[in-house]
This record gives sequence, C-alpha cells and structure tokens, in this order.
Amino acid sequence: MGKLTNQIIKYTVLIIFALIALTPIVIMWMAALKSSSEIFKDPFALPTVLHWENLVKAWTVGRFRQYLGNTLLITIPTVAAVVSLSCLAGYAFGKLKFTGSKAVFFIFLLGLMVPFQSIMIPLYYGLRDLKLLGSLWAMILPATALGLPFGIFLMQAFFHGLPAELADAARVDGCDEFNVFLKIMLPLAGPAVSTLIVFQFMWTWNAFLMPLLFLNRETLRPIALGLMFFSGRYTTNYGLMAAGVTLTTLPLIMIYIIFQRQFMRGLTAGALKG
Amino acid sequence: MAIDTIHKKHRNTSLIKWIRQNKAGYLFILPALIVYAIFFIYPFFGSIYLSLTDWNGVNPQKIFVGIDNYVQMINDSLMWKSLYHNIIWVIIGTLAPIIIGLILAVLLWSKNTKGRNLFRTIYFMPVVLSPVVVGIIWGWVYNPIYGMLNRALDIIGLGNLSRGWLGDPDLALFMVLIAAIWSYFGFCLVIFLAGLQSVEMELFDAAKIDGANSWQQFINVTVPQLSHVLTMIIAYTMIGGFNIFDIVFIMTEGGPANSTELIATYTYKQSFQLNSVGYGAALSMAMTFLSLVASVIFLKLREKGEA
Repeated sequence: MGKLTNQIIKYTVLIIFALIALTPIVIMWMAALKSSSEIFKDPFALPTVLHWENLVKAWTVGRFRQYLGNTLLITIPTVAAVVSLSCLAGYAFGKLKFTGSKAVFFIFLLGLMVPFQSIMIPLYYGLRDLKLLGSLWAMILPATALGLPFGIFLMQAFFHGLPAELADAARVDGCDEFNVFLKIMLPLAGPAVSTLIVFQFMWTWNAFLMPLLFLNRETLRPIALGLMFFSGRYTTNYGLMAAGVTLTTLPLIMIYIIFQRQFMRGLTAGALKG
Repeated sequence: MAIDTIHKKHRNTSLIKWIRQNKAGYLFILPALIVYAIFFIYPFFGSIYLSLTDWNGVNPQKIFVGIDNYVQMINDSLMWKSLYHNIIWVIIGTLAPIIIGLILAVLLWSKNTKGRNLFRTIYFMPVVLSPVVVGIIWGWVYNPIYGMLNRALDIIGLGNLSRGWLGDPDLALFMVLIAAIWSYFGFCLVIFLAGLQSVEMELFDAAKIDGANSWQQFINVTVPQLSHVLTMIIAYTMIGGFNIFDIVFIMTEGGPANSTELIATYTYKQSFQLNSVGYGAALSMAMTFLSLVASVIFLKLREKGEA
C-alpha cells in the first residue's frame, strides 16, 4: 500500500514538472497558428483553423529569413575558429612541454572567471575605430576570443588524458609534431570536439548582449536580437509574434533532440571533471 | 676576447636549444593567443584604464580622474539597490533550481522509474532556448490582458489575484526569477543525474539495514556523495547570478521604478545609454571583482573537498 502511494506521488511530481517545462513552449507554438482574436479569447485552446500565413509573414515581412542567414554566417565561422584554435592550443597545453606553458594556460583560464562586461566597453570603441561595427566580424572575432577559454580547457583535459605512447611511436618514425597532432591525436578527439561544437553553437546562436552592442544595424541582426525588435514592433499582433518565437525555437529544439547525447555528455564530462 | 667569444657561442647554442625545445608548443598556441590577446586581454586592460577616466564616448579627450568613479560608486544608492537585487537573485536563483533539480534527479534515478529519458529530455528543453525566447514567452505568461497566468487564475476561481505581474514593483523581480528558474532547473537535473551514476549502492543497503527511511537515506547518503557536484553547480550558478543580464533586460529593462535593476543592466545603461563610459567601466570592474571572488571561493572549496 505504502509503495503504491509512493509511486503515485513520484509520478505526479515528475509529470507536473514536465507540464511546467512544456506548456509555455507548446502554447507558443500553437499560438503561431492562431489568429489574434483566437489567442485573445482563449490562450489554451487548440487552433480551429491553421493560420500558416503567420509563419510565412514572419519569415518574409518579419525578416526572419535574413536573421537566420546572419545567424548562420556568424555561428559557423565562430564555431569553426573556436574548435580549431582550441584543438591546437589544447594539444600543446595537454601534451607538449614548453617554458611558461602553465602561466599562459592560467591566463586563458582567467577568461572563464571574468564576465563579458569586463571587456565590452573598450571592445565597442575598438571595433568602431577599426570600422568593424558595420560587419559580422564585429561579433565573430570577439565571440571566438570569448569561446577560447572553455574550448582550451576542455581540449587540454582531453588530450592530457590520452596515452603518450602513440605519439612517441610516431615521433620515432620521424613524424613531425604537427603531423603527430593532425594524424594521430586529433582523430581520437571526436567526442570532445563534438561536445565543444554543440556548446559553442548554442552559445553563439543564443548570444544577446554581444549582438545588441556590436550588430545593431538592422541588416546584421542575428535571430535572437531580431526576435526582440520584432516582438517590440508587433506587440499587438500576437499570432505573428508567436510565429517569430516558433521560427527561433524550432531549429534549436530540433538540433537538441538530434544531438541529445552530445549535450548530455558535454555537461556530464564538465561536471565530473569540474 | 677568446673567452668572450666562447661565452657568446655557448649562449647561442643554448638559445638555439631553447628555441628547438619550445618552438612547437608556442606555434601551437600562437593563433589562439593572438585572437585572445587582441579581443580579450587588451580590452580588459582598456576597461581598467577607462574606469579611471571621465569620458562620454565622443570627446577625443579622456580626462584622467583617478579613483573618482569608484568613490562615486560607493555613494551611488542605485548601485547598492542593484547589488541588493543581485544578492536576492543569487540566493533564490541558486537555491530554487538546485533543490528542484535534485529532487527530480533522485526521483528519476530511483529504482524502476519508467520513461527516465523522456522526462530528462523534456526537463532540459527550456535550457536550450535563448534568453530572448524565454523572456518573450514569460512576458506572454504574465501579460495582464491575454496572459496565461491570469487566465489560469480565472479558471480556478482566483481571478481577483490577477494583475500585470511585471508592472508591480514588489513582484517584478520574483516574476523574472521564476522565468529564469524555469529555464535552468533542467540543467541542474542533468548534472545531478550524472553525479548519481557514481554513487555507491552499498551505502544505501547499509543504511536500509540500519533502518533509515527514504528521507534519511537522501540526507545522509545521497547528498554527501553528491557534494563535489553540488559545490561545482552552486559556484557556477552564483557566478552566473552576478552577471545576469539578458532575461532581465528583455522582460523589464530593469524597471518598473528600478525594481529589477541589476549590476549588469545598470552597467549597460550607464555605459551605452547615459554615455558615462568611465563610470560604466568602473561598474563593469565591480562585476568582474564579484565574479572573481565567487570563483576563488569555489576553487578553495574544491581544493578542500579533494584534500
């Protein structure tokens, strides 16, 4: 008897929190297919007629096509740069011995402890003086620098844990250091690299303050920032606003569901090594 | 003369040897170091310098004023108000998601739970959303006219409680906190689930033999074994709590009547809206200091835990 009540309580709690997590997202997705008056009448009701035109209108008139394009043009180079630079540096810190390596590594780690705000003001004026504020580089370059501390930390830990014998054998065969890295060590780093890709992708995709400061020109806005201005402009057109939210959330939720294992593994590795 | 040349030659060969030993390492870190130096280290020192000047962002001249900005900060009641909000944010925004995450993790982890992966997937979903989306979604929930919260209160007969949730200075900070907790408890849950994988089951059997009930097992066996993961996540959440910006800026911009003003939103306003660049830089240094203190406490705790 006691066991049964325990089970009931357990599943009740689990289901309540699942509903709390899901309801706001699902209601937003439903609202994207409703007219404003329908939303106003009952936000919880299923749509009666599917108003696909909300999504179409957000995509074209709401500039979401452009926002999405900008986001990809920012995210892909940033992730590529962070991953390749972090692999190189992480390998050096994890496997090579050189004077001052500990001190330089520590300087990179300090980047994990200070907030973006500590650099945003001079960066803004520096990028302005370099005439970069009118291009996507104004975000790609600082975002790469900000991603490096975590990337290097992750890759250093990974390479450090690999056995040295493999590399030594290749060195005896006359392989130079770069080829040892490229042909022997890097191919083993798949799991750590995929974790880094997932995290860096999510951070760059979701970034808000950095594009708010550096990419404020309308044609440069990435999706998160674009959504904010969009929702400010269409405050009374609820269906259209919900369509904007849906276009922003769906790609990320889909990527999350496909790459769930990488998400969880990345978090887990970070937590247990910590 | 002869001795001199020998010395020189010796020095040269040792330099060559040094270069040979260190060349590879430095070549590998060089690309990362260049980007990091230009776009992180240099502006960091730039902030320290700006915090010692009076500048409006436009004038060609920056006037050096020493520690004046820091003195102004100590006398700025709005700064203290923001800091107070940050402390509330750090306490509630750390405790609530960690407690929820821990309870759900233990429930999911307990024997024979069905649908474990499905629940985990659902709980983590809000975590992947951008703060802008979280802010807009919860802005809808709280909306006085068509918001879900007022409608839900109507349905259960508590319609007299309905209001403009974000417009009430006494409630706004807590309302934003709820949205932040919603988007974060799944993160804590996943970390705890990972930590529970390495818990030693023998200890539970021993506790059961000693007659401990589920609650006693939880407090005396589960929590101590998770202490390492707990310190990690508390520190991480606290550091984040001092820097929180996005969700608050989107939902309330610090208002109404500064009731949700935080150090980060205040720094942004001073630097980019009021153009007190020097003072904004000083505020950003205060934020940095708070994050560093939280980080150092965390590192000390971890050392203690490992010793």
